[in-house]
Amino acid sequence: MMIGEIIETMSTGFVAESFELNQPPALGSFVVVHAPSAGPSVELYAVVTNGRTVGVDPSRRPIRQSTAAVFDQAIYEHQPQLKHTLRTEFSAALVGWATEGRIRQHLPSRPPPLHFSVHTASEEQVQHFTHSLQYLRLLLQTVAEVSPLQVVAANVREVFERRDQDRDWLCQAAREIAILLKSDHEALLNVLQAIDPGEADPANSALARQSSAIAPDPSRRGSRP
Amino acid sequence: MPLKLAVIGQQMEQMAESAATFVPVQERFVEQAQALLRRIPADALCDKLDSQRLQQPRIPWLVASPLGSMSGAVHAPAPPAEVCVVGGDASSIAPDRHSSLRYYVLNVGVAALTYGSHPDARLGSDSQLCFRDEDLYLFPDKRDVPLEGTLLGTRMEAESLRALQRATQSATLPTVALRDGPLILWTLQNESELVQSSMLHAFLESMSVLQQASIPLGGYISFSDAHDVANSLRVWLCQGRPNACERCDSEERDLCMALAKIHDRELFSFLSDGQRSELFGSSSQILKLYGEHRVAFFYLNVGGEIARIETPLWVATDPALLGLLHAATYDQCRRSSGFPPYPPALLEAHEQAVITSAERRLIEEMVERAMAGLGLSVKRSAKDDSKRRRGV
Amino acid sequence: MKHERLGVVVEGTFSAGLTVRLDPGATTEQLRIGDFVVLEGQHNRYFSLISDIQLRVTDPRLLSDPPREGSSFIAQTLAGTTTFATVEVRPMLMLEKVDESSPSELLDRSVGPQAVKTIPMHFAALRQADELDFATVFGREGGKNFALGTPLSMDIPICLRLDRFVERSNGIFGQSGTGKSFLARLIISGVIQSKAAVNLIFDMHDEYSFDKQTEDKRWVKGLRQLFGPQVLIYSLDESLGRRAGRNVDVTLKVGLNQIEEADVVLLSEELNLRQTAEATIGLLHDTFHEQWLLRLLEMSPEELELFCQSSGAHPASVSSLQRNLKRLQRQDYVVKEASFSALDDMVEALDRGKHVILQFGRHNSVLDYVLVANLVTRRVRQRYEDKMRRYEETKEVADQPRTLMITIEEAHKFLNPAVARQTAFGTIAREMRKYNVILLVIDQRPSSIDPEVMSQLGTRVSGKLTEERDIDSVLTGVANRSALRGALESLDTRQQILIMGHAVPMPVTVRTRPFDQAFYAAIGARLQTPEQAGDDIQDLFGDE
Repeated sequence: MMIGEIIETMSTGFVAESFELNQPPALGSFVVVHAPSAGPSVELYAVVTNGRTVGVDPSRRPIRQSTAAVFDQAIYEHQPQLKHTLRTEFSAALVGWATEGRIRQHLPSRPPPLHFSVHTASEEQVQHFTHSLQYLRLLLQTVAEVSPLQVVAANVREVFERRDQDRDWLCQAAREIAILLKSDHEALLNVLQAIDPGEADPANSALARQSSAIAPDPSRRGSRP
Repeated sequence: MPLKLAVIGQQMEQMAESAATFVPVQERFVEQAQALLRRIPADALCDKLDSQRLQQPRIPWLVASPLGSMSGAVHAPAPPAEVCVVGGDASSIAPDRHSSLRYYVLNVGVAALTYGSHPDARLGSDSQLCFRDEDLYLFPDKRDVPLEGTLLGTRMEAESLRALQRATQSATLPTVALRDGPLILWTLQNESELVQSSMLHAFLESMSVLQQASIPLGGYISFSDAHDVANSLRVWLCQGRPNACERCDSEERDLCMALAKIHDRELFSFLSDGQRSELFGSSSQILKLYGEHRVAFFYLNVGGEIARIETPLWVATDPALLGLLHAATYDQCRRSSGFPPYPPALLEAHEQAVITSAERRLIEEMVERAMAGLGLSVKRSAKDDSKRRRGV
Repeated sequence: MKHERLGVVVEGTFSAGLTVRLDPGATTEQLRIGDFVVLEGQHNRYFSLISDIQLRVTDPRLLSDPPREGSSFIAQTLAGTTTFATVEVRPMLMLEKVDESSPSELLDRSVGPQAVKTIPMHFAALRQADELDFATVFGREGGKNFALGTPLSMDIPICLRLDRFVERSNGIFGQSGTGKSFLARLIISGVIQSKAAVNLIFDMHDEYSFDKQTEDKRWVKGLRQLFGPQVLIYSLDESLGRRAGRNVDVTLKVGLNQIEEADVVLLSEELNLRQTAEATIGLLHDTFHEQWLLRLLEMSPEELELFCQSSGAHPASVSSLQRNLKRLQRQDYVVKEASFSALDDMVEALDRGKHVILQFGRHNSVLDYVLVANLVTRRVRQRYEDKMRRYEETKEVADQPRTLMITIEEAHKFLNPAVARQTAFGTIAREMRKYNVILLVIDQRPSSIDPEVMSQLGTRVSGKLTEERDIDSVLTGVANRSALRGALESLDTRQQILIMGHAVPMPVTVRTRPFDQAFYAAIGARLQTPEQAGDDIQDLFGDE
């Protein structure tokens, strides 16, 4: 599903504007860009590392809009121009690419072109890509506003859900992370605590329910000025 | 850089001190003036104003003629459930006197905000590069009357009103058109009638279309300097001639003198949140040419300040349209998050219209490149050159 | 059946051994000190022992702040990644790798495992030894390969190479209660069955000949019951010889004429002799020669006086000596004069392939034991020396005396540093197999045995030892001492032994096989009736 358009691009990743205000893709989730290619199709895979909503005009900063009577979602109905004066952006770090069914987990030779669309990765794409865990190494080295540790933890949680709570995969991923962070125990514990699935399922299904509640409504696409 | 901030700083302190002593005195007079407002019967004042107008010399001030009572206050009706408020604004890059090439840029901004069950917003701008004779001169055949300064300002007003009107063209919901700034184009009053009527033509045309569509139009003026109504009170108080104040020995002289410094927005501070005053007519000369679009005005407490709303008579005299204008304007201000509040439709229209300095420079560069592409260079004046280079 | 990989080599030196990092899936608890493991190098396979196990972490901060919440997920993740274990591994033997498709070919190869001359590179894999590895190193059961037991966690036989076993003297050690006599029984049974050597056993506690009840109330068979007429029972105790089903073949008498100076000196402590005893004996011997003891014991006070005057001996010494030595005379089995023929016949029987157990019966005090064992052994060794010299002259195969293995318990009584030079046993130990006589020493205090003797012991079989000096002693002269120390200390008290030395290619921890019906069957035991036993003796000795 198309969820945004690239507005900044560089070798390590890109920034895209979401089509839906306040609905960037989930932190740590996989997004895909179809790169232009003379030969067989190439998909670039990236992991969402940040989401933010700011004024379209950088010189205009959002100010408080709520009152006692009007707050939260109602504000957007109360001030319909906000849809046009605000925009939601998300950053994503490139972690690999795929072509003809083959997956490579290193930086692609070229960043995705500006203004190309960004799609959420499908179940199949996630399953296929996360078969190898090499990309975690790349992800841990990302320099971004959000700590790479948190991004990796978010990614592992996301993939765990997308893979239908595949515990085997989770354990493998945890071990891979333990090896990557072997000399920084504090950092490792941070991540492990964030991805610990806990004893029973209730917490996990709650997480799944939350994810689906804020999933973008495919029928709505904000009008563009 | 060579601005002597230290010196100015001292002077600022002096200014603050004098203001401090001035304010309490002022407040007393405002109270008296408001009491006066309540006392004056409107038609009596109208008669006095009419008689004064016919005498010579004329009243040197702008006065307001009450169309209703002086101190009446009207609560804002509830705005309709579904309403669309369209705001319009314009800005320009003025023609560069120091350049050999003559052109200017106009940018109008429009914001159409829909409220109700399907909230929506349409924000847009329209830009024009004006370089043809018909853009540069009011009378292009003779290359006479260049459009610059206040005339350019007037052109902008006309363009923005036209854009505003166009934006309301396919309106299906109750719609209100708001402009930032006055509807009374008093800057034209020193021009010749020919120029005046020429400049006003497009402006008034747009107003007609709005009238046809029954879309009330308001000019929103925040922190207005106007003291039309205060001046009317002076006329009321005046026992002799309005311009012979040195010889006045009336006991009301102090109040009258004070009224000279009291703004209407202070006078109407008795209005509560959402209340508007009764309508007043303006004595501005330019209005003679407005015909049925003659502009009246009222003051409105928007919840943080007393704003002046100018509107044509066909709105002022139509209770439905007036009520819609009043309700929508107040509702806009209630949706504003600034203090004092400001209608979002106008805010967004302004944002759409504004041209940043970076954009200005960009235009210059683009023009130079375009000209260079054709082998021409744009010459600049010596002063401009020295301003740009700022060499030592 | 190939075992899974346990880990890979990450560090190491030839002299100190190799460090293997265990794979995340492996736990330290599946390995033991002394386990036989295999390192797969690129060119060689290294048969090794585990000498140490360590726990490590990748980040030392983990040590000061281990995960507190009881999350099994976190603990599981950390295990083997940031927390891991290493084992120290000592290669003992190496084998060049060839095409491995045919296992039997592997075993038949002419060049077997050799001494370690190099080490594998980084990341060589470590695995548990499997059946093929054991067979490659220890050989398959059969012939002179005697299965002594199995590895601690497998069911594969580990073999003692009896032909090499009898090339040297050997020792069986272990603190009390570790089953040394059962072990001896096993080994001796193996030696008997394979005919690797003939045995002379000094059975101080009457354990080896007939049925005996163990601690857990089982009855185990004696060597006589297992091997029938091949085994001859000699006894000092006549009365015991007449019990039903436990017939003694020959009752031995010791003559005072057979007792030599050295025998008495050996018994200084037992007989409570003074320090002057030796000197006194010397003087007696000078005067009376071989009759010295007899004459001393028969001496009247006057004769004694006379003797002292003539020889210069001190009367008090002599009379005290006489008093103490009377004890000897009082022993039932001691007579005035005895012929050496009984002992010589015994040697001949041994030479014919018989095995002899000398029981002490009621006469099993230390005095009896030391006196008789030493005396008999001296005579036997002497006879063997004669035979050997004869063989060297004639070079006839028939003249070559069979290798004789003499088993003694409480070996420190004969082999402690003070007396090691004087006993026949000490002599035998030092001579190595010069005259085809070897020892099997059994002791629970190896530290009391002369180190020089200890170093002559080719194969050492040890049960659990806890005393530091006992462990040191058993490991005297053994390579890779530090690796084996841990193995010795961690043995169970019963049924677990460590074998090292000449008869095994490399040291190995073994769970001893039980001495039971299965064993009897394996040994090919014949179950005899008493009548048959009597017939056999007749055959041997004719009319006595």
